[in-house]
Amino acid sequence: EEEEEEQFYMKDLPKYACSYCGIHDPACVVHCNTTKKWFCNGRGNTSGSHIINHLVRAKAKEVTLHKDGPLGETVLECYNCGCRNVFLLGFIPAKADSVVVLLCRQPCATLSNLKDMNWDPSQWQPLIQDRQFLPWLVKVPSDQDQLRARQISAQQINKLEELWKDNPEAKLEDLEKPGVDEEPQQVLLRYDDAYQYQSIFGPLVKLEADYDKKLKESQTQDNIVVRWDVGLNKKRIAYFNLPKANDEMKLMHGDELRLRYMGELHKHWSGVGHVIKIPDNHSDEIAIELKSNAGVPTDCTHNFVVDFVWKSTSFDRMQSALKTFAVDETSVWGYIYHKLLGHEVEDVVIKCQLPKRFSAPNLPELNHSQVYAVKTVLQRPLSLIQGPPGTGKTVTSATVVYHLAKQNNGQILVCAPSNIAVDQLTEKIHKTGLKVVRLCAKSREAIESPVAFLALHNQIRNMDSLPELQKLQQLKDETGELSVTDEKRYRSLKKQCERELLQNADVICCTCVGAGDPRLAKMQFRSVLIDESTQATEPECMIPVVLGCRQLILVGDHCQLGPVVMCKKAARAGLSQSLFERLVVLGIRPIRLQVQYRMHPALSAFPSNIFYEGSLQNGVAPGDRLRSSLDIPWPQPDKPMFFYTSSGQEEISSSGTSYLNRTETASVEKIATRFLRSGVKPEQIGIITPYEGQRAYIVQYMQYSGSLNKKLYIEIEVASVDAFQGREKDFIILSCVRSNEHQGIGFLNDPRRLNVALTRAKYGIIIVGNPKVLSKQPLWNHLLTYYKEQKCLVEGPLNNMKESLIQFSKPRKLVN
Amino acid sequence: EDQIVYNKASVKRIECQEDDDFMAAFDKMLEDTSKARNNESIKVPQFDVPVPVNLKGSKKKFELNPEPVEDNTIKFTLITRRGNKQQFSDLNVPVSAEFATKFKEREEAERIE
Ligand SMILES: [Zn+2]
Ligand SMILES: [Zn+2]
Ligand SMILES: [Zn+2]
Repeated sequence: EEEEEEQFYMKDLPKYACSYCGIHDPACVVHCNTTKKWFCNGRGNTSGSHIINHLVRAKAKEVTLHKDGPLGETVLECYNCGCRNVFLLGFIPAKADSVVVLLCRQPCATLSNLKDMNWDPSQWQPLIQDRQFLPWLVKVPSDQDQLRARQISAQQINKLEELWKDNPEAKLEDLEKPGVDEEPQQVLLRYDDAYQYQSIFGPLVKLEADYDKKLKESQTQDNIVVRWDVGLNKKRIAYFNLPKANDEMKLMHGDELRLRYMGELHKHWSGVGHVIKIPDNHSDEIAIELKSNAGVPTDCTHNFVVDFVWKSTSFDRMQSALKTFAVDETSVWGYIYHKLLGHEVEDVVIKCQLPKRFSAPNLPELNHSQVYAVKTVLQRPLSLIQGPPGTGKTVTSATVVYHLAKQNNGQILVCAPSNIAVDQLTEKIHKTGLKVVRLCAKSREAIESPVAFLALHNQIRNMDSLPELQKLQQLKDETGELSVTDEKRYRSLKKQCERELLQNADVICCTCVGAGDPRLAKMQFRSVLIDESTQATEPECMIPVVLGCRQLILVGDHCQLGPVVMCKKAARAGLSQSLFERLVVLGIRPIRLQVQYRMHPALSAFPSNIFYEGSLQNGVAPGDRLRSSLDIPWPQPDKPMFFYTSSGQEEISSSGTSYLNRTETASVEKIATRFLRSGVKPEQIGIITPYEGQRAYIVQYMQYSGSLNKKLYIEIEVASVDAFQGREKDFIILSCVRSNEHQGIGFLNDPRRLNVALTRAKYGIIIVGNPKVLSKQPLWNHLLTYYKEQKCLVEGPLNNMKESLIQFSKPRKLVN
Repeated sequence: EDQIVYNKASVKRIECQEDDDFMAAFDKMLEDTSKARNNESIKVPQFDVPVPVNLKGSKKKFELNPEPVEDNTIKFTLITRRGNKQQFSDLNVPVSAEFATKFKEREEAERIE
C-alpha cells in the first residue's frame, strides 16, 4: 500500500496523469484534444471534475478517452453529424433494446431528425451532468485516490491555466516560482498625488484593454451570408447573421467590423464598416454601413468572413486623462484635485445667486428632496446625488444644469457612460430652452436617436449661414464622393462650423469617453455633471473631469449595478469600483433623492428597507397604481405582488440551454397571458430572468404555446436584469430559474442586481421561483420572509392559489 | 441536509470566489454553445441508424472478458463509428440513469406478460 502511495508522488507520472492532481487510472482520465493534456473526472475540492474545470477555463470542447479504459481510445462525437462538442453531446437509447448511441442535442437528437422510430429522443441524456462526465462513462476516482492525489485548489487551477497560456509545459510546482503570478496593485482609498493615482489606474486600464483586445480579436466568424442594401446616404449596407455571437461579445452600435470575401466568384475583397443595427426582438440580423463603396462585391452573397476590429480609442482616452491629471496642474482646480485624491481639505462654499424658483422651465415641479439637492449642489464644488429607482434623477440633473447655465460661469459639460443615458438627459436639458449640442462619436452618426436633431453633425447640416458648405454637403450626399480639392475645402469648412457651434452652446452632452474627442480638446469646462456615474469606472469618469473642472456633480446610485469590467484581474484589483463609491467611502455624503414616483407603495417597501435604510418615500398613492380590470388574483387585494412557488426542476442541459426551468416558463407564460387578456399592452410587461437559456426559452415558449396572438408575445420584453437597469415597466414578472440543490443561485446573489430587479415595476410584480433553494441566500431569505409575512407567498394553480406553508432553508452565512 | 457534500464525506468542495467564477463560466459555456448551435442552421443527414437486432448474439462476444457486472447496472451496447465501420462496446449503465430505469421496468413488464 505504501508503494502505491509513493507512486502518486513520483516525479515522473505517466503522460496521461491528470495535469491537476496526478491521478492516472486509465478509466478515470480524459484527453483534451485542444491542449493535448489529460485530466481526471474527479472533483477534488471544486464543484466540477478536473476535466470540466479545464475545458471551461481553456474554452476547449473536444476530448478522447484513454485506450486502456473500458471503451478504448474513443473520440467522443455525434454518431450522426460528427460534432465533437462534449457540451452538446448526450446518449439516446433505443426504445426496446439495451443499445445507446451518442448524438448531439441540436439538431441530431431532435424529434424531427429521427428517421428510425426505434430510438427514443425524449430520453436524451447529456454526457456532462453536475459538471462532471457521467461516472459510468468516465470513472470517478475513489475518495481514497482523490485524497491521496495532489490537492489542488480552484485558485491554483486558475493560476496554472493562466500559466499554460504562455508556457504549455508549465507544472503545478512552477506556481511557486517568483514573478509568476503578479497581481496588479490594488486601488487605494487615498492617493499621495496624481502620479500615484496614475501609476495604479494606468496598469488596470491596460489590463482591461488587453483583455478586450484578445476577446474581440478571437471572434472571427466564417461562412457568413450577406444581404446587400444601400442607405439614404448612398453608402453600402451589409446585413448578416452572426451565428456564434455570445454574451461576452456584446456587439454595440458603432462597433467596427471587417467583412472579407473569400469565395471564388470575385477577387478577394475586404472592407470595414460600423454596426448600425444589432440583433433585437424582431430579427437577429446585424447591419454594418461600409466606410467605402469602392469595389464592394455586391453580386456575391456567400463565403464572407467577419472580423471584429478592436479599437483602442476609449482606453487611450482614459490613459490620456490619467496622464493629464498627473502632469497638468490646470486640468482640475486644486480643491477638486485634493478631494478626488482623498486629502483633507477645508470645505468651500461657492458664492452664487440662488434662484427664486428651483424648478426649470418645461420640466416637472421639483419635490422637497430634489429642491434640496439642486440648492446644495449649486453651492458646492463637489457633490454626489444619489437617485434611487424612480426618484427623478434625470429631471434633477437637467434642472441643476439649467441653473448652472444661468450662473454664467461658462459652458457646462454633461456626460454619462452610456449613449442612452446621455440622450435622455440631452432631451430634458433641451426642453429647458438651453442651447444644447449632443456630440456623437463619428462611428455613431448613422444611428437613430430621439435627439438626433441636437447632434453636432446634424446641426451642421441645418446651418444656413454657410451656403458653400451646404452645397458641398449636398454634392457629397448625392455622389457619395468629392474631388480631392472639394473634399479638402469641405473638411475645413466643416471644422470651422463645428467649432462655432460648440463654442456657442450652453451645454455640451456626450458620453464620458466622448469627452476625450479631439473636437473638445482645446475647450475648458468649469462645470461638469456626470449622470449614471456609478456605472462608469474611475478612469472613465476622469475623462470629462480633466478638462478644467472647478465644479463637479456626480449623479448615480451605488446601490444599483456598477460598471462592467471584463478582466477579472482588473476587477479584483478594484477597477469595478466607481469614483462615486470611493468618494462615499471617503465620507462624502451623497444627497439622496427620497421620493419615488415609480412603484406602487407595496412594491417599494422592501427595497426601501433593505437598500436605502427605509428612507424612500412614496410620491404615488396606491390609487395611482391601481389597474382595476386586471384578472390577476393578487393574494392581498391591496398589494399587487406575489411570490409564486415553483418546484419545477431546473434542467441543466437536456433541453438546449444551460439553465432553464420548463415549469417556471409555463407559469410565466400563463401569467403574461393573463395580463394581456386583461388589456395590459405587451410593451408594458417586462420579464426578467438572469439566464440567457431561460430568456431564449421563454421567448420561444410564448411564441409556440401562448394561447393568444403570437404578435402580442413578441412585443413583451424578456431580458436580463442588466438590460432593465435605468428603465421601468408597468408589470414585471421575475423568473428566478435556480432550483438546483447543489449550487448557489448565481447571478441573483448580487444584492445590487436584486435591487434593480425588484424596482422596475410600477403597477405589480410577480416573482416565480423555488423558495427552498433561494432561501439559502440570506438576502433572498429576507425577501421570502417578507412575502410570507405579507401573505403573498403562494402556490397551486393560478386560478386557485393558496398560501404556501413551505419551510425555508437556513441561510448560509455570507462569505464576506 | 443542505450542506454541499460530494463523494460521501471525505472530499469536500471548498467554497471560494474562484470556484463560484468557474460555475458561472460553466453556465456561460453551455449557454453559448447551445445558443451558437441554435443559430447555426447546419444541415445534417437525418439520423437513420437501425437498431441492430442481432446484438443479443454478437453481445456474447463481449462477455468473453466480462467485468463482473454489479447488480445495480445494466449492460448496454454503445454504438460508435470508427471510420466507416460500426463498432460495439459494452457500457454498464447504473439503473439510476433514467433510460436504464425505463429499460428495466419494461423488461420486467415483459417478463410478467
Ligand atoms: Zn485530477
Ligand atoms: Zn449531431
Ligand atoms: Zn492634497
